[in-house]
Amino acid sequence: MNASLGTAGVALALAASVGGVLTVVVAQAKGRPALLRQVPSFVGLAALGAVLAVVAMQRALITRDFSVEFVAENGSRATSLPFTISTMWSALEGSILLWGLVLVGYLAAVTWKFRDRLTDPLVAWALLAMFVVTTFFFGLMAGPANPFRTVPNPPADGPGPNPLLQDHLLMAFHPPMLYLGYVGFTVPFAFAIGALVTGRVGEGWLVETRRWTLFAWGFLTVGIVLGAWWSYEVLGWGGYWAWDPVENASLLPWLTGTAYLHSVMVQERRGMLRVWNLSLLCATFALTILGTFITRSGVLDSVHAFSESTIGPLLLGFFALVVVVTLGLIFWRGDTLRAPGRIDSPVSREGAFLANNVLFTGFAFVVLFGTVFPLLAEALNDRRVSVGVPYFNRMSGPIGLMLLFLMAIAPALPWRKASVETLSQRLLWPAWFGTGTVVACVVAGVRGLVPLVAFGMGAFAAAAAIRQVVLATRRNGWRGLVGRTNGGMVVHLGVVMIAIGLAASGSFAEQTEARLAPGESRTVHGHEVAFTSFTESDRDPTRTIREAEMEVDGRALAPRLQRFPNGSQEIGKPAVRYGVGDTVYLALLEGPRADGTILVRIIVQPLVAWLWAGGALMLVGTLLSAFPGRRRRGTEPTSAPAGRADRPDAPEADGGGTAGAAGAPDREPVGAP
Amino acid sequence: MSRRLMWVLLAVVAVGALALGSRPDEARTADERVQDIGGELRCPTCAGQAVATSDAPAAEAIRSQIRADVEAGRSDDTIRARLTASYGDDILLNPPRSGFAGLVWVVPVAAVVVAFGGLALAFRRWERTGPSGPSRRDRELVAAALGQDPGDSHGEGSGR
Repeated sequence: MNASLGTAGVALALAASVGGVLTVVVAQAKGRPALLRQVPSFVGLAALGAVLAVVAMQRALITRDFSVEFVAENGSRATSLPFTISTMWSALEGSILLWGLVLVGYLAAVTWKFRDRLTDPLVAWALLAMFVVTTFFFGLMAGPANPFRTVPNPPADGPGPNPLLQDHLLMAFHPPMLYLGYVGFTVPFAFAIGALVTGRVGEGWLVETRRWTLFAWGFLTVGIVLGAWWSYEVLGWGGYWAWDPVENASLLPWLTGTAYLHSVMVQERRGMLRVWNLSLLCATFALTILGTFITRSGVLDSVHAFSESTIGPLLLGFFALVVVVTLGLIFWRGDTLRAPGRIDSPVSREGAFLANNVLFTGFAFVVLFGTVFPLLAEALNDRRVSVGVPYFNRMSGPIGLMLLFLMAIAPALPWRKASVETLSQRLLWPAWFGTGTVVACVVAGVRGLVPLVAFGMGAFAAAAAIRQVVLATRRNGWRGLVGRTNGGMVVHLGVVMIAIGLAASGSFAEQTEARLAPGESRTVHGHEVAFTSFTESDRDPTRTIREAEMEVDGRALAPRLQRFPNGSQEIGKPAVRYGVGDTVYLALLEGPRADGTILVRIIVQPLVAWLWAGGALMLVGTLLSAFPGRRRRGTEPTSAPAGRADRPDAPEADGGGTAGAAGAPDREPVGAP
Repeated sequence: MSRRLMWVLLAVVAVGALALGSRPDEARTADERVQDIGGELRCPTCAGQAVATSDAPAAEAIRSQIRADVEAGRSDDTIRARLTASYGDDILLNPPRSGFAGLVWVVPVAAVVVAFGGLALAFRRWERTGPSGPSRRDRELVAAALGQDPGDSHGEGSGR
């Protein structure tokens, strides 16, 4: 029943997506824009199908319908409700289903937002691109990644999800957030394709998709930070980022997306960098597909990777298709994309954005190259090579410091050209704040060149951002806080907090393994850790818990060992006490021996809490940026009343001298009533 | 005090503080050495984890081997060499700097350098072309736009 319902849902969504593709293609090819009015029906059917499939999957999981293979392999009677729901995205097929649901959600949102402009070719082509992506993903579900395969002889119970995935409630939030970000980049990508196909490559489409991009980027940021938080609280070694292929896969589109969010401002302001911005957006989308390939195909070893499957070649093929189509379109539109104007001086806001872009794409290249290098080495040189944490830390450290430096000076740079006078005046006290921080750290006994430079640069960048926000609020009151520039400064403050947290917790962690008898205590980095007693309980029906009652500086903390009914071994669950300064992290390694002693790993790390607080601040900043500040409507100059559409320069005035030549004579202007 | 003097003073203070602060710390303890070396080795039986961060038996065995070597007074390089001899080169998470694997260090650095070089070239070209004056079409556009929209200017810190 659940399986048939789900299969029907997937089939419906696939059919509706194919229908959508055909409708748009026929409407565009035969010049029958009236057909485009049917698009919302196809979107509605696709949404209905996706929701039906997800409901069927959830119903199968919750009612323990082990006749569905996915439930038989990943569900369990012993799993509690929240983790039963999150089981859907704990394995391959279900995670593709979640992808499909989010994708259709975005498709529906775009259709709703642009419901009055469905016959606008730009919107139509964007919808076509989205329908193609939807077709691909529901095609995966109808074929090799079918979540609703059935088993002839249903087992009485299943193994349940990986114990690590039923350990922490963050598992319920981190993947959906990540998917909202990952999949969200489909929207600006689709509009980029639409802009290329219609030749309306001016700034209109950028402005239309600005908030969609920001939305996707914000969710991706939150998803990555939540993932790091989950690793920290669950994995038991006091780490939050391991440069694992799966983690890198989520970081790659974030890096190129961040580069885009900056360089897009040069295009909006100066009309330049068109090819570059289109390429960045398409690369971001392509990297989400490549990342999914890395995660889902089993080509690389990873703690988080899903089981090996046959969808790898399909994802790789789709990635290649995206790259080829995009490059082809950019090549074809080469003339239209050539931007008028020039950048006057490297010492200017534009110059800083360009340097930012080199660093971010360079960063992305380092991460991508390091991640796939073991594959290259094996294929080309027939030698096994490992590329791990020390490599990535050494390569990303200098890039991170350069980015902090850029963050410090860029907000003070005016557009076009900066004079030494201006810079010297604007940067003096932020620079002193950074230097003062270094001096204070040295006086306080902090040693080490890299962390000191990181703290100094961080303080410099923070002061520059605060200066900007103070100036804006002084001028505009509370309104000075909203809008892109100042919301962006709040994001910068969050980034600085994370950078300082990374430098501090990475450089000054103190770790020891202690064997403690009841009543015994150990002092680590000024924190007294005492072991009181050991308890065993089966109050939780989904697991047996063995717990060490401990005290850190007189306050209770209880690291655990847990055994899940179907798990072969005990899984540790660390206990963490966050402080504004130090964080104390206890991981129980061994339960009591005959003499009653336990083995516990004690880690004291400074400023870990800053990572999570910085993530929250980045979210706040993103929301402030999305809120329209004192911003004129970017589409206004590009939209023209319907009656003037025949004037060659009316529709896309922002295209400079090329717009008139680019547009087909029969197209409608952007934003026509 | 003139602003220039303030910048000079700042440079002196910053360099001084960094020089003072980057003095080598007190010698590493045996625990820290085991941790540091273990962080650069791949746990042979786990998927993509370091020896230092894995609780797998194989990782624990390597850790105790490192500890024994540290206590025997061997240098970090010797310990690494002994481990690669028994587990193979790919136990190192830091790829070797020579041979094919050296590319993983060289290529990204070269790419970033080339990108910055390209950027510098682009700036030189822009400098040489000089500012292009507005065309007749540009003037018409401005005139048309000014007819409807008083225009706005954006100063520093404005909400755009």
